[in-house]
Amino acid sequence: MKTNQKKAWLFLAPTIIFVTLFSIYPILRAFGMSLQKGSLIDLTWAGFSNYQYIFHDPEFWLAIKNTILYAVISVPVGLAISIMLAWIIFSKVKHKTFFETTFFMPYVTSTIAIGIVFRYIFNGDYGMLNFILRCLHLPAPDWIDDPAMSLITIIIFGIWSGLAFNIVILMGALRNIDPNFYTIADMYGASGKDKFWRITMPELVPTIAFLLTMNIIGAFKIYTSVYALFNGQAGVGNSGTTAVFYIYNKFQIVGTPGVAMAATVVLFLIILFATFLQRKMMKKIGEN
Amino acid sequence: MDDNKFVEVKNLRKVYDNGHEAIKDVSFSVKKGDLVCLLGPSGCGKTTILNILAGLLSPTAGDILFGGKSVVKIAPKDRHIGYVFQNYALYPHMTVLQNVMFPLVVGKQKKSKTEAEQIARKYMELTQITDLAEEKPGNLSGGQQQRVAIARALVQEPQILLMDEPLSNLDARLRLKIREEIRSLVKSVGITTLFVTHDQEEALSIGDKIILFNDGVIQQDDLGQNFYLEPNNYFVANFVGNPVIDNFKVTKTADELQGSDFTIKLAELEQSRFKRNLPDGEYTLSVRPENIVPQEDGVLTTQIDDVELIGRERILKFTHDDVQARSLVNLESTLRRGDQIKLALRLDRIFLFTLEGERVY
Amino acid sequence: MKKLRLGVLFSYIILFIFAIITVFPFIYMLLGGLMSFQETTSIPPTLIPHHFEWSNYAKVFARAPFARYFFNTVLTASITTIVSLFNSLLGAFAMVNLHFKGKGIVQMVLLSLLMVPGEAIIFTNYNTIAHMGLLNTYIGLVLPFLTSIFYMYYLQSYFGSISETIYKAAMIDGASDWEYIWKILVPMSKGGLFTVGLLSFISGWNSFLWPLLVTNEDTMRLLNNGLSTFASDAGSETQLQLAAATLTVLPILILYFIFRKQIIQGVVRNDLKG
Repeated sequence: MKTNQKKAWLFLAPTIIFVTLFSIYPILRAFGMSLQKGSLIDLTWAGFSNYQYIFHDPEFWLAIKNTILYAVISVPVGLAISIMLAWIIFSKVKHKTFFETTFFMPYVTSTIAIGIVFRYIFNGDYGMLNFILRCLHLPAPDWIDDPAMSLITIIIFGIWSGLAFNIVILMGALRNIDPNFYTIADMYGASGKDKFWRITMPELVPTIAFLLTMNIIGAFKIYTSVYALFNGQAGVGNSGTTAVFYIYNKFQIVGTPGVAMAATVVLFLIILFATFLQRKMMKKIGEN
Repeated sequence: MDDNKFVEVKNLRKVYDNGHEAIKDVSFSVKKGDLVCLLGPSGCGKTTILNILAGLLSPTAGDILFGGKSVVKIAPKDRHIGYVFQNYALYPHMTVLQNVMFPLVVGKQKKSKTEAEQIARKYMELTQITDLAEEKPGNLSGGQQQRVAIARALVQEPQILLMDEPLSNLDARLRLKIREEIRSLVKSVGITTLFVTHDQEEALSIGDKIILFNDGVIQQDDLGQNFYLEPNNYFVANFVGNPVIDNFKVTKTADELQGSDFTIKLAELEQSRFKRNLPDGEYTLSVRPENIVPQEDGVLTTQIDDVELIGRERILKFTHDDVQARSLVNLESTLRRGDQIKLALRLDRIFLFTLEGERVY
Repeated sequence: MKKLRLGVLFSYIILFIFAIITVFPFIYMLLGGLMSFQETTSIPPTLIPHHFEWSNYAKVFARAPFARYFFNTVLTASITTIVSLFNSLLGAFAMVNLHFKGKGIVQMVLLSLLMVPGEAIIFTNYNTIAHMGLLNTYIGLVLPFLTSIFYMYYLQSYFGSISETIYKAAMIDGASDWEYIWKILVPMSKGGLFTVGLLSFISGWNSFLWPLLVTNEDTMRLLNNGLSTFASDAGSETQLQLAAATLTVLPILILYFIFRKQIIQGVVRNDLKG
């Protein structure tokens, strides 16, 4: 067999053509466009003015603030709940697949459709959630129409949709832990708590690192769930705007693709930085 | 065409991408119809050679001739070879019959389905797997899978059959049975066969001749018994033979070989067995355990560490110069652990090696 | 002993609360879609409709071309799935079984592209499609998704677990690469291909942002875009919104319940290796 089988390129051709056209080119093009101004059909050189523009745009800062807040709250909370649930299902429950199947449902369903349901449940007047809260004599805020609540509503919805993927992946990782570890721990009389913190958690570190990366990347891309919750808007008075919302708005509605691409580049760099930071952190934890 | 050189390998060399030199200048030839074993420890390059012969790897340098024609540039499928893989590589989603038929129904010279089935069934009969035709490989025992693999290899009626450790996945008893079957099968078909193994006993029992490799170099290319009686070098002497050979450090002086506590007069050795004149210095004296035996006037005094029973013989284990050594005695021997004994060497059967491993006596 | 039982009980309570939180929106969606308008806005909220208003569904179909949305969605999701599966299959085969110069570079580029969020390139892709004059066409809807690095990577790990001697054996048996792919690789990887196909179909079904960008004609809309437009148009008629949402979710949910094992295993498998 030849060491350089040129026919390989033939098999890879469709992939390479499509990837070049719709993955590599758009990335380069996004960088290029971020330095241009004008409408899509009439782009001219603009230097860094687009970047200057977004950095002076309060709406952009609100979008970034919302996106980062969303990421740093929903990701750790969601992950913690997922770990708890996965551990309970794995260690305490007989019908593991039943619960796994149940918890995974949100992963396969359309965010738009389920967002409509949440909008209904969150309704300030006749929504199910506030009904329950009132019954428990808890404050019942206006989840959808109060600008101060927008981000919290988005976070709750985000955590709800994110559990599915995390739980299933964590279950897979838990199943992969050698059961002998637990047998030996039992022989030494370890308690359930000991077993969780001394065996389960260390074994889960790579999986948690992976989920953190995926969740953070996902969180920074948040768009559809906001769109669904607020019926195409970014909350009342744009209170729940996010980075992708901002980009979409500047690109499609306002018609300033250069500004949109500058924001895209910034978002992209933030994601890269967050992933990098998170990898470093997990590596440290893994070493300890 | 020279039937003695039906398969000819010339100055073959293989360097992998990572820089590892798996084969270093290897040349050998195989006679038409012979069954030749490529023997060696794992990592010695024997499977690499088989893969190069099959065309699954390309050599870095050198040439390969089948029936006098170079095949280096020819694709595996056009080399007229059959190949039996260590893990059999049966297609798990096909039945036995489909597996055996597969080579006949793909590629450029496709045969009709009925013709292919006819040929396949002929070889399945030969390998006695007709009853398994409709089974999937997953339901078969190791021995049965082995037969399917052989039938699939033979069905294209290749000129050369290549087998890569075909018995290593079988249990000990089955291995003995199947290796006899393989030998009688390839002999009855008359196909030239190269058989890779790491098991010296297997090689000795099945091969018309054996080529022993180590570190990508041929150590000895010879008939089976010669590996035992006339090893080329220190590696061969130590690789072949069970129990393994005993090695003693000796220093040669003008007229003696001096061990740590024994001496042998050079005059007692057979002068014709010296390969060359030896300068004084250090050598390794090696002797097979059956040629070092307890005897009243033995030169070597030692204490027995342990006695092991192996079928019709016993191994006396002792330590000499901090190295374990063995002596092979009859089952009837009454010597026991802790006994002091004297051992004598059969001087016409000992070997002397330089410290580099070259055999000099 | 008693303390231990309490712990288990506590765990069960947490588990059930979250299970209910997870499932409730789905059930409420099904039920809400069958309520009357008054029931959806009543205080306290209605849980079980007094009378199943099946006519809600008739109204949904009458108000918006949901049949057309279904057709569009099934068509584009199927085309994306089949073509991207085909391309990934060929690519993954080359990456796993063939040796060629530049393989390491290709692998590196693909892996780093895997890190690029789709949202960062979707707008420039819109630009490309617009330039090609493919807005409001099926081709425009599917073109950027006809290859998937993610699924190719998944298949690579799947094919990589097949012993390489199988490929070698096929070469010696005289099979061409094409024959190897279709007679051996595909039948041996049916499970993996099927899972990839399912996941790809589901994500095609649920796609939203891309079709939102490249279509603005009602006849070219996909289900989720149709649904969101319908939700705006139907205004306060919550029961119709919920019926339409049910229409969107139910087919995928049924598919999910039938193939839950393959889907979950598929997701776990590819992501543990990532």
